Amino acid sequence: MPKALLTRWTSAARSDVSLEGVTGRFFDGEGGLRLDVGLSSDNAAGTLILHHADLPAGVQYWPLEAIRALQDQARADQLVLTLADMEAVDAGLITTARLSLTDPAAIALVQRLAPNLNKRDVKRGTGRKIITYLGGAVAAVVLMVFVILPGLANQLAPLIPIEREVAWGKTVVNQMGRFLGDGQSDLVCEDPAGLGALREMEDRLTGVDGLGYEIEITVFDIPLVNAFAAPGGQIVLTRGLIEAAPDADAVAGVLAHEIGHVDARDVTRNALRVAGTAGLLSMALGDFAGGAVAVGVAQAMIDSSYSREAETEADAFALQMLDEAGVSAMGFSKFFGILGEQESQMGFEIPQYLRTHPVTEARAEAARVFADAQGLTSLVLSASDWSALKGICD
Amino acid sequence: MCRQGYSSSHLSGRYFGQSGPLFWLYIRTSLLTLVTLGIYRFWAKTRIRKYIWSATAGGEDSFEYTGTGLEKFLGFLVAIVILAIFLGLLNILLVFAGLNVMGAFDGTGSELAQIAVIYANLLALLPLMLFAAYRARRYKLARTRWRGLRFGMDNGAWGYVLRALGYYLLVVLSLGILTPLATFRLEKYMIDRTWYGDARMAQDGKWTALYGGMKHLAIALVILVGGGAAAIMMEAETLGAIAFFVGYIWFLVGAIYYRVYAFNYMMRNRVLDGVVTFDAQAETGRVITIFIIGMLALIGASIAGAIVLAIIGSIFGAAIVSPQVISNPELLLTNTGGLIVAGILLGVFYIGFILALGGVNLVMITQKVIAHVVNSVTVANAPHLDQIQQRAADTGADAEGFADALDIGGAI
Repeated sequence: MPKALLTRWTSAARSDVSLEGVTGRFFDGEGGLRLDVGLSSDNAAGTLILHHADLPAGVQYWPLEAIRALQDQARADQLVLTLADMEAVDAGLITTARLSLTDPAAIALVQRLAPNLNKRDVKRGTGRKIITYLGGAVAAVVLMVFVILPGLANQLAPLIPIEREVAWGKTVVNQMGRFLGDGQSDLVCEDPAGLGALREMEDRLTGVDGLGYEIEITVFDIPLVNAFAAPGGQIVLTRGLIEAAPDADAVAGVLAHEIGHVDARDVTRNALRVAGTAGLLSMALGDFAGGAVAVGVAQAMIDSSYSREAETEADAFALQMLDEAGVSAMGFSKFFGILGEQESQMGFEIPQYLRTHPVTEARAEAARVFADAQGLTSLVLSASDWSALKGICD
Repeated sequence: MCRQGYSSSHLSGRYFGQSGPLFWLYIRTSLLTLVTLGIYRFWAKTRIRKYIWSATAGGEDSFEYTGTGLEKFLGFLVAIVILAIFLGLLNILLVFAGLNVMGAFDGTGSELAQIAVIYANLLALLPLMLFAAYRARRYKLARTRWRGLRFGMDNGAWGYVLRALGYYLLVVLSLGILTPLATFRLEKYMIDRTWYGDARMAQDGKWTALYGGMKHLAIALVILVGGGAAAIMMEAETLGAIAFFVGYIWFLVGAIYYRVYAFNYMMRNRVLDGVVTFDAQAETGRVITIFIIGMLALIGASIAGAIVLAIIGSIFGAAIVSPQVISNPELLLTNTGGLIVAGILLGVFYIGFILALGGVNLVMITQKVIAHVVNSVTVANAPHLDQIQQRAADTGADAEGFADALDIGGAI
């Protein structure tokens, strides 16, 4: 082993170097015993040489290009070295042996001679591994959100006893009333003549067969144009909707649509599905700045895709129901026209993938085509009943 | 050159970390986490740990953290899949049960029932969180080295879950009186499964000894209950408020006192390989001082941040909302460029501000407490450490993925 005794490393950039009197603290990675080793370099062979009587044959050779320094270290007064090891399973591809240098000259020497000191080694196939894992995780989450949870919700929803669902629906309607009424207690319209007209419309639509549910329709005294179905046959219309409707047939169309939701138990199924996906999404996407927004957007997109499907089915159900009751679907179609105008007045259009209802124009068109093909129809309410319904909130 | 054993039989813990470098490391890694939509957080945590571990030394030799961000990321992906299935099914079944069995949502009791569902959810997650806590500790030990030798921990997460649930139940049923039993036995369970190289750690001592650490909690309770009762009897609201305030503060201090006391006691009764013993002299007063100074720093930083935010806001506010705009509000919409610049500036400042607070917290509180605790530990019979041999590598399995997915474990 060549061991040129030069004064200091500065005088021998390209020559072999021995650091006289300088030691490094060496742990062989097998035992806890520390060896204070002497150091020299052999530039021709490209090695750092560790000397100690207790080492096998008194020396250990460290190839300069295999030497790595530990990263993100707190102490500036020491440099901890190790060797690259592509087979290491519990560390960043390094061996278990450690050599700590505190002598500034020794540190400077190693920093100058070891070409890959701060190299980040990456195992072959790492990229493929990441893609495989990432793909697997995404596939599992997608499968859960779009197949398993909705399927389970569909299976479970019919198992809930109807009286429970009805009680739940009533709570939801009460809460909605409190929320929309801004604390006002009496939001429910109760004009007897109006309620009678509403009952008549309902009977005409549901016919003699009726539904699995007892339908209970509530009208809220608010200007907002809206209608929704709560669980257990609870349906809410607003004064704004009745006022905006061109005729009783239009209201009947909306009502038939909501009855469609009731018949399909959409709200209950949706509640179960959302309960399943919410916790899952917040775990998969949460836990970083902006995570809550990401969860919200993802939830909205998933919801809208399910709602659009449900809305389309409820529309089809409504048209069928109108037809069986002998009511023209033209009123339903006209009502979409009015909604479309309101939307265009807002000055922008919500993109299809973020909206819960299918685009209004298409729905109006579908209802108009259906109405054209209908046979003999009659008005759903007499003129006097229609004016009674319009006065339900008076 | 000779074999270099320890001349002294004692070895002191020393902490070399500094505020500046760790603060900037935190800011740099947090920014990377932000721009990678959170994916870098596994690497960020790993780098912070590397810093803190390497700042910790036993005698002359530094500790080392050998975990990698990549394995944490992959472990997280695995955990996500398992938890996604479990959580999705659990939540849907809980709501179903809530609607079906418990009579939830019916009229008056509905809010109560909803709360019950939320708690049932948490309760169902508790075993998983305990499982994750044990696995996280095992992973951290498996990735810790000192003098080139690995630490390690035996597999035993489910045993820990069962015991922890049992002891927590006892604590709740005894109104907290059995807290020392839970603290001692659960820590003993983990310590008795801990290894350094081929040397096993053992926890001696008695759980009843921890009652000494409960004294300030007991005093706080006396103040709260006694003061409250006296206030009610004498109908003195001020007295009640004072008793509540003093009792509350005393309780917080008492909780820190208990943790420090328990740490010292457990450390002093720990033996490695039947030979090497430990001592710890952590001080409650010092820890509380660190907390108070850290809190003041955080408050100061918040005030400074709010002032800068207000200045930016007012400058842009003045520029955008000129007199013409006030008379004609539609002009506001025409000045979109100004609005966008102001928005971006405020957003950037806000993010920087939040990151800075996190950094101050890490540097002023977390690191200072670690420094104090490390410096308080000494090891006796250290020469025996020379004879300890390496242990086999632990692949780490989920690499803490469950803890990351369930968001437990805090800053480091």
